[in-house]
Amino acid sequence: MRDFEFLRPATAAEASRMLEDIGEESRLLAGGTALLLALRQRLLTPTHVVYLGGVAGLHRIEFDERNGLRIGALVTVAEIAEHPLIKARYPMMAAMAGQVANPQVRSMATLGGNLCYGDPATDPPICLMAMGAWVLTIGPDGGREIKLEDFFVDYYESALRPAEIVVEIRVPAPMSGVTGMYTRFVKTRAEHRPLVGAAVVARAVGGECLESWITVGASTLIPTRLHRAEQFMKGKAVTPHLLLEMAEMAAGDVSVVSDFRGDEAYRRDMIRVVLARTAATVFSVSL
Amino acid sequence: MSQHLIRVKINGEEHEVSVPARRLLAAMLRDDLHMTGTKRGCETGICGACTVHLDGKPVKSCLALAVQADGRALTTIEGMCGADKALHPIQKAFLEHGGLQCGYCTPGFIMATSAFLAENPRPTEKDVRVALSGNLCRCTGYVGIVESVMAAARAMAEETKEVQG
Amino acid sequence: MSSAKIGVSVPQLNAREKVLGTAQYVGDMKIAGMLEAKVLRSPHPHARIVHIDTSRARALRGVKAVVTGADTPNNLFGFLHKEYRILAVDKVRYAGEEVAAVAAVDEVTALDALELIRVEYEPLPAVLDPEEALKPGATEIHAGSGNLAREIRIARGNIEEGFDRSVAVYEATYEMGYQYHGYLEPMCTLAQVDPNGRLTVWVPTQSVFFTRQILAEALAIPQTDIRVIQTLTGGAFGGKLTEDLNTPICAFLSIKSGRPVRLLNNRLEDFLGARSSMPARVKLKMGLARDGEILAKDSIVVADNGAFSNLTLEQVLVTAFRTDSLHRLKNVRCHARLAYTNKIPSGTFRAFGTQQMAFPVDSHLTMLAEMIGMDPVDVHLRNAIQQGDTSVHGWYMGSCGLTDCLEKSRDGIGWHEKHGRSLGNPTRRRGVGIGSGIHVTANRQIADWDGSTVLLKMNFDGRVILTTGESDIGQGSNTVMAQICAEALGIPIGHVTVNMPDTDIAPLSFGSVASRVTILAGNAIVRAAREVREKLLAVAAEKLHLSAEHLTIEEGFICQAGNPEHLMPLAEAARMAMFRVGGEGIFVKATYDPPTTMADKETYYGNVAPAYSFAAMAAEVEVDTETGQVLLLDSFVADDCGRALNPRAVEGQVHGATVQGIGWALYEHFEFEDGRLVNGNFADYTMATADATPALRAAIVESMEPNGPYGAKGASETAIVPIAGAIANAVYDAVGVRINSLPITPQKVLAALRELATSREKELPHA
Repeated sequence: MRDFEFLRPATAAEASRMLEDIGEESRLLAGGTALLLALRQRLLTPTHVVYLGGVAGLHRIEFDERNGLRIGALVTVAEIAEHPLIKARYPMMAAMAGQVANPQVRSMATLGGNLCYGDPATDPPICLMAMGAWVLTIGPDGGREIKLEDFFVDYYESALRPAEIVVEIRVPAPMSGVTGMYTRFVKTRAEHRPLVGAAVVARAVGGECLESWITVGASTLIPTRLHRAEQFMKGKAVTPHLLLEMAEMAAGDVSVVSDFRGDEAYRRDMIRVVLARTAATVFSVSL
Repeated sequence: MSQHLIRVKINGEEHEVSVPARRLLAAMLRDDLHMTGTKRGCETGICGACTVHLDGKPVKSCLALAVQADGRALTTIEGMCGADKALHPIQKAFLEHGGLQCGYCTPGFIMATSAFLAENPRPTEKDVRVALSGNLCRCTGYVGIVESVMAAARAMAEETKEVQG
Repeated sequence: MSSAKIGVSVPQLNAREKVLGTAQYVGDMKIAGMLEAKVLRSPHPHARIVHIDTSRARALRGVKAVVTGADTPNNLFGFLHKEYRILAVDKVRYAGEEVAAVAAVDEVTALDALELIRVEYEPLPAVLDPEEALKPGATEIHAGSGNLAREIRIARGNIEEGFDRSVAVYEATYEMGYQYHGYLEPMCTLAQVDPNGRLTVWVPTQSVFFTRQILAEALAIPQTDIRVIQTLTGGAFGGKLTEDLNTPICAFLSIKSGRPVRLLNNRLEDFLGARSSMPARVKLKMGLARDGEILAKDSIVVADNGAFSNLTLEQVLVTAFRTDSLHRLKNVRCHARLAYTNKIPSGTFRAFGTQQMAFPVDSHLTMLAEMIGMDPVDVHLRNAIQQGDTSVHGWYMGSCGLTDCLEKSRDGIGWHEKHGRSLGNPTRRRGVGIGSGIHVTANRQIADWDGSTVLLKMNFDGRVILTTGESDIGQGSNTVMAQICAEALGIPIGHVTVNMPDTDIAPLSFGSVASRVTILAGNAIVRAAREVREKLLAVAAEKLHLSAEHLTIEEGFICQAGNPEHLMPLAEAARMAMFRVGGEGIFVKATYDPPTTMADKETYYGNVAPAYSFAAMAAEVEVDTETGQVLLLDSFVADDCGRALNPRAVEGQVHGATVQGIGWALYEHFEFEDGRLVNGNFADYTMATADATPALRAAIVESMEPNGPYGAKGASETAIVPIAGAIANAVYDAVGVRINSLPITPQKVLAALRELATSREKELPHA
């Protein structure tokens, strides 16, 4: 790790001002589980690290039926996994959070940090995107709301402007009749990162899919919503065949990365299999 | 560059330490405070040999800066035993049930186990395996470790009963 | 004599300090004035070093020494094969090779200094595949070598006749890659030079005497000017024989700086610096008779030495011929070649090259069994070597529990209910597989002495200090030695203290290699204890006016045989033996050199080990036919260790070896891109976690080795040998595909399943 100045703002607005003053040579630190890896290997060499840990008000989890779920950016992944309300109302999210990385990383890693870092091989963005989540930010130009679908721009790159900070993550209140599931697919039991993440959220009545939200990630540069597959499902009677077709279509629609952890063909295959299986569970269909 | 005076409560004792910003939490414990029970294993957050509790939660001290612990409470392996080095039931179980060989991963496993049993005092073997997935051991094949954790859970349940009784 | 110390699961002597976190590894030690060192490594697999500029690094505040190859002694060194310099000179031969080193006041300063060193390279063509390396005209890695590090030809019996008589002949080629040892304590050395130039080195080594010899050659100083002290060792598995350069670089920096220096690898450096296991490509052909007898075995081995020679040259011989002694073979042949490549030098690893042939042979036997319509376990049993046999290469089996191991594994997994039954559903298919293994207990190979000398000192209080050169590398050998000593003397285990090896103090031995400690040091300890016992009984007999032959020692007291009444504390007898006219301190030296022979240099024939250990594994897997994932459901390993002196310790070795084998079979692999290791970290090089393995089961087979102390032989390496073959066979039983390259990845399984489906379609008669 190169040496750096360590700054401790008291508010998010102050943090934003610090980032603005210092410019590109600064990095924001939340939990640090991802950033520290890059700093230690000197892949990132900021002159200033702005630490959000002292900022009050970013640790809350709140819920009401009208506004849905509001999660402060510094809430840890473990807190999400264990939160009684999230477990009751957003079981898909709690289950996902309970599988991220490993227990020690979960108790340090923050949701805000996880989203902003833009690592493709991580679970929360994929799951939350399918749940219709968005983030609240503050920055030099004031605050704004960004849907997760618009948040991820490229490999390790978000839509955040310079000095803009995510302060809260919001998830709509669950609609009645909507169920969902996130699958973290690891290639072998010994792997530490998902090869594919897939989420299916759907509203179905009498075996008919009224609406669905489908996302995949980890094998794509950024978490990706699959609009064509969603449209394809809309209004159709859910059969094993339909789900297999949907998964085939979805797997063909995404651009897939290729590396030593999995070549493109295998990753695409797994997107298909994992999506079909996830959807089958959501719709209670056996393939 | 930036040097910081931090206050941190470690194993119940207040410490003031002056550290550069880039000092890792694990390095502060080991190099500044000479508490070497916390081990360096992989430095990528996988092996868990550096596990400590930060405000009661298990964390990897190789993935945190010392300055992040300012104003907070830490428990390390050195804080697990009682007075006169009386073994904690988890330590005793690891000793008696083949929970260790070379011993290098042992402090990390004990710290992860302690955090886990606090959350789940009556685990199944499967629960234990999942809960310890943030720690690597190359010697034991995990069989002795899982046995040790199960034995510790039983012993701690007995202790609780005695206290309540 | 009481048998309370043998066959008892005593916790490790130092278990308390390990659970307390007070156990001190070398990375935990500090000496006043100690510097921290860091190493700059080559980014190129093969390149000429044009120029190195260290001036900016030297100028950095806190930097005390910066060295390059030009500064190092101009001589080649190595434990058996002399090819190394402390730092690269003129050219680099693999990506990761040590080019420069820095010692500074702390680790971050040393890392800062590395960033300031400028090295100009002129890349050379890199040779990355061993078969390519051996082709005429290939770029030479060491001038004049032809890239051939060793070539072996072994032939016994009549191979052609064997194949002629066979009713089934099967041939296939197998690929096995590097496996990293994965000890949790990365390699680390602490070195200090005194004003007279005498060097003291603290290091977690498997052998203090090997380390001393390597250092003496590397630094060009007499061995006696070097003191090597083994520190508590956080796992080794063959990886801490100090054939890597961590220790010489550290010692050299200490000499250059005149200060104590520590060099602690971080994990990323350790992947590059360590000598991981030998990759091998094995082309194997075997023939079977109608009744399952193996009539011929013919193999061609091409193994990867990497850029420099270590004991890999000795390992390739093991690959070539060791598993032949697992069976009652008559006709065998092997042609093995070990090639230099521009990759990480391969080195010693648990089981020392045995598994590189066991995986092919175990895979083969299942295929051949199918060809003749026989159960694979029965083929193993039909050929299993037996107690009293002398194998095709002259190995005498004083004890052998192989048949028992095979039967226990078979029955333990529920073989008859599961094998060949196509269990599961179309997407999740289950199957079982069998594998078996052999390993030496000690090996007369390094020199024509394969012994162990121990020193036993008794103090005034009747307690003893045992001093040996045998390294406890975490497996608990010190505890087992204490058990043997306590048993042989008749004292409580707590009355035995075992010293860590120290070359200035310890008597000669080779340390923790070749599963030798229990049998060699164990026998020496029994001899030493017997001598101490006789001395003490003689003086006690004199005092008690009884005959010494009617006396015994029980739990530290002199007793009459058959009568538990304490006649005299041992301490009293000890003092009587010492404090008398002509008396002396009780300090006994004993040696055990086993009744073995060095193998013939040309033919490799000869009984090299006092005992041979055996193991078998039965595995049950579930294969997901849509993802190719292999889930190990159940694992049953039976291990013949002669006798389990400490059953929990033996089980610990078996389970640990099993998971390491599972890793090699399913999870672990080096990924290279343009000759550079790209997954050299624990996030991407995936060793099994607790939730990646099932609850392993093990059985201990006690074949009572006549040469062993209390019947024991080696227990720490054998169990890794049968694992990969058993798992590959289980995959075959489940889904009918043969994966001949390790690891058995989901991609390979899925691709093979598709190929199988395609070929089956083709076989269908056209309408």
